[in-house]
Amino acid sequence: MSTRREFLTTALAGGAATALGPRRASAAPKSMTVARESSFIKPFDDFFAQKLAAEYEKLTGIKIVYEAVSVGGMLTRLTTIAETKSGPEMVGTGVNWPWLFDPSLVDVTDLATEIGKKVGPWHDNVLDAVVVNKKWKALPWGNIGQLEVYRTDWFKEVGVTKFPDNWEDLLAAGRLLKKKGHPFGFELGHGFGDNHGWLYPLLWSYGGREVDKDGKTVLLDSDETAKAVDFCRRFYKETMFEDVLGWTDVNNNKAFFGEQISCTNNASSILVVGKRDFPDIAKVTDHALNPQGPKGRFHIMQAASHAIMTHAADQAAAKAFLRWLYDDKQLSRWLDAGEAYYAPFLDGYENHPMWKPEPRYLPYKESLKTTHLHGWPGPPSHAMSESVAKYVLVDMFAKACRGDSTKDVIATATGQLKQIYKVK
Amino acid sequence: MAVRSEPLARPAPVFGRPLSLRGVVEREGVFSWLMLAPGVLFLLAFVAYPFFYGIFLSLQDRPVARAGVFVGLANFVTLAHDAVFWQVTRNMFIYASVTTVLKLGGGLAMALVMNQHFRGKNLARASLLLPFIVPTALSTIAWMWILDPTFSVINWLLLHGGVITTGFSWLGNATLAMVSIIIVNTWRGMPFYGITLLAGLQTISPDLYEAAAIDGATTRQRFRYVTLPIIKPVLVIVTMFSVIFTFSDFQLIYALTHGGPANATQVYATYAFDLGMTGGQLGMGAAVALSMLPALALLIVVLTLYLRRE
Repeated sequence: MSTRREFLTTALAGGAATALGPRRASAAPKSMTVARESSFIKPFDDFFAQKLAAEYEKLTGIKIVYEAVSVGGMLTRLTTIAETKSGPEMVGTGVNWPWLFDPSLVDVTDLATEIGKKVGPWHDNVLDAVVVNKKWKALPWGNIGQLEVYRTDWFKEVGVTKFPDNWEDLLAAGRLLKKKGHPFGFELGHGFGDNHGWLYPLLWSYGGREVDKDGKTVLLDSDETAKAVDFCRRFYKETMFEDVLGWTDVNNNKAFFGEQISCTNNASSILVVGKRDFPDIAKVTDHALNPQGPKGRFHIMQAASHAIMTHAADQAAAKAFLRWLYDDKQLSRWLDAGEAYYAPFLDGYENHPMWKPEPRYLPYKESLKTTHLHGWPGPPSHAMSESVAKYVLVDMFAKACRGDSTKDVIATATGQLKQIYKVK
Repeated sequence: MAVRSEPLARPAPVFGRPLSLRGVVEREGVFSWLMLAPGVLFLLAFVAYPFFYGIFLSLQDRPVARAGVFVGLANFVTLAHDAVFWQVTRNMFIYASVTTVLKLGGGLAMALVMNQHFRGKNLARASLLLPFIVPTALSTIAWMWILDPTFSVINWLLLHGGVITTGFSWLGNATLAMVSIIIVNTWRGMPFYGITLLAGLQTISPDLYEAAAIDGATTRQRFRYVTLPIIKPVLVIVTMFSVIFTFSDFQLIYALTHGGPANATQVYATYAFDLGMTGGQLGMGAAVALSMLPALALLIVVLTLYLRRE
């Protein structure tokens, strides 16, 4: 069934086409717009907007306009663009958005194949995020990793010189640190990144899963999930404080630089900001992989990617721009400007110079092998997005931490998932 | 002597009169519609169209970027079986009712004080309007700092005043988080009540108070039998507006708690946004947003009937 909007659009487009006559196929666009969430790493955005865009204009005469969308606002912007079928020709995507917006995105398999041949191959796990029904709908340039961030000086004070390798050891360290007045601060509230960044990996590392690969079998109600929930409750009570239950994504950064917490889960931007604004704290800050649980070590995937909108008047021109942007000559310099905030899913960049200046970022590269989308191993469907939007997993853990029983929180979350995944 | 007046001039019949644009425009029926047209068009474009499109969406399974499929009331049935939706409904009614009572009481008190004569009255009136004037997103950021566990000025005062030994978790504790958003909403909305009721108070003739005083009425009696009956229509209207604004409150909660912890402060607008925008379920999001309609419609009908009766 077509929508009222589509009807209006078709009618208006038909009228306009009749009035204006056919567009010359050979006419190159004067400008194209790329809408992307503004980066926490300002030089990364500046390099694109000032250096790369200028180079492309000089080369082709096509002006590239960069529309920076505020952090956390890109999904809303993308929804508006897709629904109105107007605006920027190219957009930034993340999480499973290529699946959500599949009908509005151009197939870029040819480009992905070319790039894969030149600087790849692509990592297998990123295909979950960008390949929809065997077609590439977006081109990833890097993963925004969510890892452990901690104060080396305070950890040393309690005799921990190497970041704990598993959750139980981290709990033991946290217990000592909290006694010393340096609690942990892991977000358990309704943010968009720093909560999922550790809670999904925690569940997976204990063997728990939301849903099976078929997207029809809800697996949450399991002993493995119960163990993860029980651990989370202990971890919260023994290492943290009540505020974390209401934290959104800004709070852990504020608490870390306010010297209130000794460890959190965050992207590497925290160290970038630290070096710029809090150099003394930055000196004693380090990153580590998420601890492993009984069933392994995991990380969340946030594949920052570019996609072309189907409403783009000249899709070939948009593809040509992305082909140029993802050429090693450009991509390599751009990634350098990003201070290793974006870890590329390309084997050819395994030893890229971007990893050399700051060895503390190396865990972000290492984490790539164990990254997955939020609802993994379930399909990256609309249901997955709904589960994330409803904070099913986050609230399951948060309720357990505030005192609800493990059985109750799992039963509630399972009921929600069954409704979301339409399980009878 | 009886004077016979001239018969009143009757307009010439339409037929037979020359038809001019000015003549057409100046006809009462045409002129009144011309005056109404901008307002009606505005309402149609920015109120009626979104409203009916919202209803249209709520009756569809409408994933983002895809065509919708008509599903009737299925979205509402799904919501009826969604535990979070009922929690959201409960939160909404607690939030709206408590803030309305507080804003009403506080706003009335504010108006009564502002209606007195004292030095610096105009400055005080202007200052009291500030919470209403400052953009919500901006003032909410200030409240984020005020309620922040590390930097909270309230906790600092309570701790240094020896009232408490550990700071309150204003936004981490489910009950305190609700209390916090109620406080912030009341702080922001009270001036709306205050200034509107002040306008109502200023229409009361001082003669009425003088007459009541001569009859021996106490201050309380003057308020009960003079002030209150006169400002009652204003009171009802301002309450109606305030409840509507509170039901559709979004920015404050989205910026302060985003509905957390564990949905303790989730309300219709934030939940609708999460489902529609983050979840990509536009139909379901519209259904959540429309769920506030029956309660608001009932309130408007009851209050309007009450006003008519008065």
